[in-house]
Amino acid sequence: MRWKKLGRIFEPSKYKSPNNCFEFAQSPQALVFDDFIRIYFSTREKDRIGKYLSHVSFVDFDKKLKDIIRVSNHTVIELGGLGSFDEHGIFPMNVLRDNDRIFAYTTGWNRKVSVSVDSSIGFATSDDGGRTFRKIGKGPVLSSSLHEPFLIGDAFVSRFDSTYHMWYVYGTKWANHPEEASPYRVYKIGHATSPDGISWQKEGRQLIADKLDSDECQALPTVINFDGRYHLFFCYRQAIGFKHRRERSYRIGYAFSEDLKNWIRDDENVGIHVSEDGWDSDMLCYPHVFHCEGKIYMLYNGNEFGRFGFGAAVLEDTTNEGLLERYHIHNKGADQ
Amino acid sequence: MFKWRKLGRIFNPQDVKGRDWLKEFAQAPSVLVFDNFVRVYFSCRPLPDKNGQYISYSAFVDLNRNNLFEIVNIAKKPILALGELGTFDEFGTYPVSVIRNGNEILAYYGGWTRCESIPFTVAIGAAISRDQGETFTKLGKGPILSCNIHDPFVLSGPKVRRFNDRWFLWYVAGTKWLENDGKPEAVYKIRMASSSDGLKWSRNGEDLIENKIEENECQASPDVFYYGKKYHMFFCYKYSLNFRNSDRGYRIGYAVSEDMVRWVRDDRKAGIDISEDGWDSESISYPHVFQLDRSVYMLYLGNQVGRFGFGLAELESYTSS
Repeated sequence: MRWKKLGRIFEPSKYKSPNNCFEFAQSPQALVFDDFIRIYFSTREKDRIGKYLSHVSFVDFDKKLKDIIRVSNHTVIELGGLGSFDEHGIFPMNVLRDNDRIFAYTTGWNRKVSVSVDSSIGFATSDDGGRTFRKIGKGPVLSSSLHEPFLIGDAFVSRFDSTYHMWYVYGTKWANHPEEASPYRVYKIGHATSPDGISWQKEGRQLIADKLDSDECQALPTVINFDGRYHLFFCYRQAIGFKHRRERSYRIGYAFSEDLKNWIRDDENVGIHVSEDGWDSDMLCYPHVFHCEGKIYMLYNGNEFGRFGFGAAVLEDTTNEGLLERYHIHNKGADQ
Repeated sequence: MFKWRKLGRIFNPQDVKGRDWLKEFAQAPSVLVFDNFVRVYFSCRPLPDKNGQYISYSAFVDLNRNNLFEIVNIAKKPILALGELGTFDEFGTYPVSVIRNGNEILAYYGGWTRCESIPFTVAIGAAISRDQGETFTKLGKGPILSCNIHDPFVLSGPKVRRFNDRWFLWYVAGTKWLENDGKPEAVYKIRMASSSDGLKWSRNGEDLIENKIEENECQASPDVFYYGKKYHMFFCYKYSLNFRNSDRGYRIGYAVSEDMVRWVRDDRKAGIDISEDGWDSESISYPHVFQLDRSVYMLYLGNQVGRFGFGLAELESYTSS
C-alpha cells in the first residue's frame, strides 16, 4: 500500500476558535457532504487551574481537501456537567452518517486523583446537519467492565450489513515508571457490535496483536472496506518515553481482515511514515480513513499529538505485497 | 405495618483491638447464616490519612446463632483487597452484599475511586468466595455494573437477592451532583437490575421509590425481603445537603410491592425510629432484614452512619395493610 502525503491542510493557530481554544486540532474525522467535506477535530482551552479541556470544532473543505470553506465558530457539542464522564473534555468525536441521521460517538474525559484521567464513550445525534450535536443522556454508551477496567475511548463506528461495529480502545494497566513523572497507561484495541448503534455488546478480546511488547499502546482505530477486504489503521507507541523521544512515539499501524473477525497485523504494508523534517517528522497519530469521490483519504496528526494541526494523504496504490501469502500462513496457524 | 423492638447495639468497631484497618465505622451490615453462627458482613475504615481522607474495607463478624449478642469471631483481615492503581475500587470496597450460589458465595460491592471535580465516584464490583465467605477473589479488575446512559454517576449500595430463580440487584444510582459552594454532594435514588446468572445484568434506570422529603432526597440501602406474600423494602433516606445535622440525617423508610417493580412507599409502616438518646439517637440507616429460626430481625446503623457500629431489632408484630 502507498499513501501520497498532501501535506498539512489545517493549522489551528491561524483561526480563532470558540471556547477560548487556541492550539491543537486532534483526531480529524470526516463527514462527506454533497458539496464539501466537514472535518471534526478536538481543540483545547486551558481552564482556571491551567489544565486542558478538549472541545470539538470543525472545518469545511472543498472536496479535494484544498480550500477551506469555513471554520466553526460555535459550540459543536457541550461538555458534561459536574461529575459527568465528559466533564473535562471530548476527544475525539467520531461522526457517522446513518441514512438521514448523523450519529456521533464521543470520548468523554474526567479527571481523577491517583491517575490523571478516565474516559468513556458517549453518543449524540445532530438535528441540524452536523452543525451541533445533542447527547442522548448524561451517561456513556460504552464504559468500563470486568475485564476492560478503565479508559474506554476512541470509538470508530461503521455499519456493515445490518450490524453496527465499533472499534475502540480500552485500558489494561496503570503503572509507575522512573522515567515518567506520573503514572503511565497501556491500552489496546477492542471491538463491539450493536443492532441499533446505542446498545453495545463487547467482544471482549484484544483485536490487534502487539508488535512492540505487551505494553504497546494502541489507539484510534479506523476501518475502511475496499478491494473486497477490511482495512484497519490505528496508531501505536511505546508506553514510556513517547512524549519526547521520536523513536518511541506514535506511528501508524495497519491490519486487514476478510471477515471482521480475524485481523492480521501488517505494519510493513501501511505505506505511510514520519517525514524527514517538518510538522509530522516526530510522530504520526490519530488516523482517519474515508472514501470521497472514488478516492481514499487518510487524515492524521503529526508532532506533539496534533498541536500544530492535521494533514491528509491519498491512497495511491492498494497492493499489499505478500498479503495473500501471509493471510494463508495465518489461517493455517489458526486452524491448528 | 411493622413494629420493631430494639435489642441494642451489637457491634462497636471502636472496641476491636489489633486491626489497624478496622478502627472506625461498621457500615451496611448484611448476614449470611451458617449452622452455628450468623456472619455479618460490614464495611469499616482505618484512621483517616493526613488529609482527613478515608479508605474503606469490608469484613465480617460472626455471632452465635443462639445468642446474637455473643461475638464468636472477627475477620482477621479484609475480605477483599483494594484495587490496583487506577482501578474503580482503588480507595474502597463498601458496601458489600453476599449470596450463596451452590458451594460458592458471590459478593457484590461498591468500589470507590477519587476524582478531581467531585470527591469520589463508585461502581459495582463482583467477587467470589470458595472458602465459605472468609475471603473473596474479584471476578475482574473492572466493575460488573458501570455507568451508562441511564446511570451516569455513582453506582453503589448493591443488595443481591434471588427470587424464583431470577437474580435481582437493588442498587443506588447517582442522579446528579450538587455544586454546594465547591463541596459537591451527590443525589442518589434506588434502582434495580435483574439477571439470569448473576453476571450479566439488565437495568432500565428507573427510580423505584418516590421522594418524600425533597426532590433531591438521597435514598440508600434498598433491602428487600419476601414475607407474608409480599415484597417489603426497608431503606434509608436523608436530605441532600447539611445532612450531618441530625434533623436532616438518615431515617429508615419502607415500601411494599407485589411484583418488585411497582413499589408503594409508606414510611409510617417502617415501625422503627431514632432513640431518645444513645448511639442511635441522631440518625438510623442501612437497614438489613433477615429471618433466623422463628424470628425476623433488622440490623441497622446508628449515629454518623455507623461510626459507632450497628444494632439489632426484632420484629414484634406485623399486620398486612
